[in-house]
Amino acid sequence: MFKRRAILLIAALFLLLSGCAGFKTGAVNQKASDGDEKVKVDFWTFWGSEIRRPVVEKIVEDFNKSQDKIEVTHTFVPWGDIWTKELAAIAANSPPDVVINDINATALRGKKNQAMNLSQFLEKDDISGDFYPELWEATLYEGDSYGIPFNTDTRILYYNKDAFEEVGLDPEKPPTTWEELEEYAAKLDKKDGNTYDRIGFYPLWGIQSDVWMLNADGVNYFDSEGEVSIDTDANRDTLDWLVKWREIYGENTINAYQAQIDSQQGNPFFNGKLGMFINTPTFYTQIRDYAPDLNFGVAKLPERTEGSGHTSWGGGFVAEIPEGSKNAEEAWEFIKYLTGAEAQEYWAVKNFDNVANIEAAENAAKSDEMSETDRMVYQMAVDNMDETLLTPVPVNAPDFTNLINPEIDAVLLGKKSSEEGLKAAQAAVEKLIEKNK
Amino acid sequence: MRNTNVHHEKKKYLDSVYNRRRIFTLINFILLAAGSLLILSPLWWMLSTALKTMQEVMTYPPSFFPSEWKWDNFVKTWQAAPFDLYTVNTVTITVIVVFGSVLVNSFIAYGFAKIPFRGKTILFGLVLSTMMIPGFVTLIPQYVLFAKLQWINTYYPLVVPSFFGSAFFIFLLRQFYLTIPNELIEAAKMEGASHFYIWWKIGIPLTKPAMATVAVFSFNGAWNDFLGPLLYLNDESLYTLQLGLQVFKGEMNTQWNYLMAGSLLVLLPVILLFFFFQKYFIQGINLQSGNK
Amino acid sequence: MAKKKPLHIRREGRQGYIFILPWIIGFVVFTAGPLLFSFFASFTNYDITSQMDFIGFANYEQLFTGDQLFWTSLYNTFYYVLFSVPLTTLGAIFLSALLNQDVPGLRFFRTVYYLPAILSGVGVYLLWMQLLEPGSGMVNTVLAWFGIAGPNWLFDPAWTKPALIFMKLWGVGGGMLLYLASMQGVSQSLYDAAGIDGAGRWQQFRYITIPMITPVIFFDIITSLIGGFQIFQEAYVMSNGEGGPVNSMLFYNLYMWKKAFEAFDMGYAMAMSWILFVIVFIITIINLKLAPRWVHYEGEDN
Repeated sequence: MFKRRAILLIAALFLLLSGCAGFKTGAVNQKASDGDEKVKVDFWTFWGSEIRRPVVEKIVEDFNKSQDKIEVTHTFVPWGDIWTKELAAIAANSPPDVVINDINATALRGKKNQAMNLSQFLEKDDISGDFYPELWEATLYEGDSYGIPFNTDTRILYYNKDAFEEVGLDPEKPPTTWEELEEYAAKLDKKDGNTYDRIGFYPLWGIQSDVWMLNADGVNYFDSEGEVSIDTDANRDTLDWLVKWREIYGENTINAYQAQIDSQQGNPFFNGKLGMFINTPTFYTQIRDYAPDLNFGVAKLPERTEGSGHTSWGGGFVAEIPEGSKNAEEAWEFIKYLTGAEAQEYWAVKNFDNVANIEAAENAAKSDEMSETDRMVYQMAVDNMDETLLTPVPVNAPDFTNLINPEIDAVLLGKKSSEEGLKAAQAAVEKLIEKNK
Repeated sequence: MRNTNVHHEKKKYLDSVYNRRRIFTLINFILLAAGSLLILSPLWWMLSTALKTMQEVMTYPPSFFPSEWKWDNFVKTWQAAPFDLYTVNTVTITVIVVFGSVLVNSFIAYGFAKIPFRGKTILFGLVLSTMMIPGFVTLIPQYVLFAKLQWINTYYPLVVPSFFGSAFFIFLLRQFYLTIPNELIEAAKMEGASHFYIWWKIGIPLTKPAMATVAVFSFNGAWNDFLGPLLYLNDESLYTLQLGLQVFKGEMNTQWNYLMAGSLLVLLPVILLFFFFQKYFIQGINLQSGNK
Repeated sequence: MAKKKPLHIRREGRQGYIFILPWIIGFVVFTAGPLLFSFFASFTNYDITSQMDFIGFANYEQLFTGDQLFWTSLYNTFYYVLFSVPLTTLGAIFLSALLNQDVPGLRFFRTVYYLPAILSGVGVYLLWMQLLEPGSGMVNTVLAWFGIAGPNWLFDPAWTKPALIFMKLWGVGGGMLLYLASMQGVSQSLYDAAGIDGAGRWQQFRYITIPMITPVIFFDIITSLIGGFQIFQEAYVMSNGEGGPVNSMLFYNLYMWKKAFEAFDMGYAMAMSWILFVIVFIITIINLKLAPRWVHYEGEDN
């Protein structure tokens, strides 16, 4: 009796729910066959916020209106997890058609057959020249591109002009070398007994030691041939220099500030408790929103010694076609639009984000939709692209950071000398590459 | 005389028991209250963040109380994404999962606990083993499997497995069934009852508190599930609350106030449910003891 | 030749299979395939999308002989399990004992203690990152009231794991539910009898409550061990996916995740998962063997 009742109940439940949208099968990735003949292109991004979402959806809408063959649908998938989902969908051979993904692992995804080789499309429409060469370079695996650069970032120095003035520094002359950086920082320091009222500068807030190693001589862990070059003089000097900073301010002060910056809440640069700070150009939007009265300037990163270069570090995202997409041709058409000058400029201006398309970036820096300060920061970002290097994930050692980071942490915590740490890291990464060959 | 003396002694004894009980209750109360403060303080942090403006959230050091209580943050949060729809979706999934989990796991667990059959130990070992394999490595093959079944972008991958038992709940209910004296089962069998009948008429009523526990756990699991909906749902109109909350978390900065407000709103129904559901833990009929 | 069992026993056995049939179907349809696949793929260089060549025991060999991070992650995970499991189990029993009494506001208290268990996901871990912030986070602020200088929690490799265990203890109310349900089953008559014999509260708790709830304690220990070995999300969120500082939060599953989804070395990750399986399996077997010495089942079959 009860068994029949239970079965009936379950059956009724399923009957009821089969009318519900979540229980209709077979609706995925079908070529459009219904009347209108438009090809549906599935486009996944992680841009779901109030600010970004309307911008990307406007671009999609404009594209859909610009022609009558392709209908792009935008889907928001949460940041980070989007790529796990993409991978699963590729494995099941039912991926979306365009996905925004990390530029630094584009070559790796090309090697692994996750992203589609775009050379077939580039032969017809060569758009490679539209983007910053350093970005384009990062999308290549064995000479072929596997993703088209969409946006990017770089690292610039922000400094508090009022604080400069207060201690007698010229607010129009930010530090240009490491030596000046130290000198200015010392001047900006304001101590009250044992605690700091203001810290001039600390190099590891906002960026990490690898950026400084890159800044020192243009190479951090892998040279241009892809050889492991961790245990180098420049890297050793850089680490020693960083340890020196650590000793100046002391563990507790550093951690307290670090946590504030990491927690993304209440950056000490906003209220003048930090004189100089290195971050991305988009960090400016936080200043604009949360510390609108701050009188600040922006500059390129200082160089290690005069002439060694103001090298900065960047990253970004590409638009890629996952392997197995059923509508690659149409996806390519959309990617061209998405990374074209018009859409890119719109994105740049509305989001105050650095875009990969050179023409769009330069136009955005002059856009009258932006305020004067907006333009100042944006122009600096654009100029800084010449100094910006990317550090794409090495295809033979994609997860090498877990071998290097603990060694560097140990050096910075004073548990190892820079020689010991870098030597061990060099050996460990070489071993990993050997294993993966 | 003698009688009153005994009476007096008894009263004294009872009084002392009563007093001791009162003191005990008081200590208990103080401990629980102090602990509650510890438990609640992080939640206070959450609430106060939810009520601040982003500007204030970004001020350092953080303040314990919002300087301006932005109650409309809750409204804005709710409007930032189609949360009404997400609620309906989440409730649909959760109701089915809870129904399936409670019924089926109880059935399976009874089999493992109260019926002798060959290979039981090994099969039960297998049940436990399925819990020990980290989910990441089966994630991709499982996705491929569901894709072959044409179940991607439907709720099937999220709800159907709950009708086939889960190791955790089977194990849990089995432990409770094992505390039911066998004599009870034997007596029913003597009277000619089948195991199905015994399960329905004796097993379920006796394990009500445990089933309530399973209900709460599976409710929680389905309500808070993130990875499942993330992987299997492609249409935003099918999304759940946990996915909806992710719009406040960007790659660069997080809208803390909305994220916290949203988390609290999502939490609320679960709190209410738990608050009113509790009587089922307390009212479990207990044959072996005869207390209510 | 096996002796034929009497008819009614065989018939009962058949009923047993019917009872567990749903699980068997579910296992065969949903679980067995992916599990077998992951087992076989652990002997290959499977990377999900481009290759799957048989490489024998190379993954296992590399793990045991050439991978320092494997041992690091194993150490971190054992450390976490060793402290978090006993502490949360004891905590949950103690708490349930308090909440199984007649206290004013019982419903309120039970709800409050269960709250952290309901709250899950990334939001909570982000919240705890703020609470554990060394300078002005709430934890250290409160510690300061008592004159204790709080540690640097998530920034000090020596304190990261204690921080996670501490956070885990906040959610101790999750286990409470189980114990409450089981304490409800303890006969009042047993307490009454003990009360007449003059047993105090502590003695009643020790000699009646505890033995009667051992099946659930056993359950809690087994499942907490299994869950503890799989700690992932808190470490992933709170170390920004890196497992730092100094790999102190690089737990086994986090390392496995990085291998699987960052390096796409899925075969390797699958080998890792089977090693973890063997470890947890052995620990569970030991527990099952020890169980008869202390777990008391009222209705155990012979």
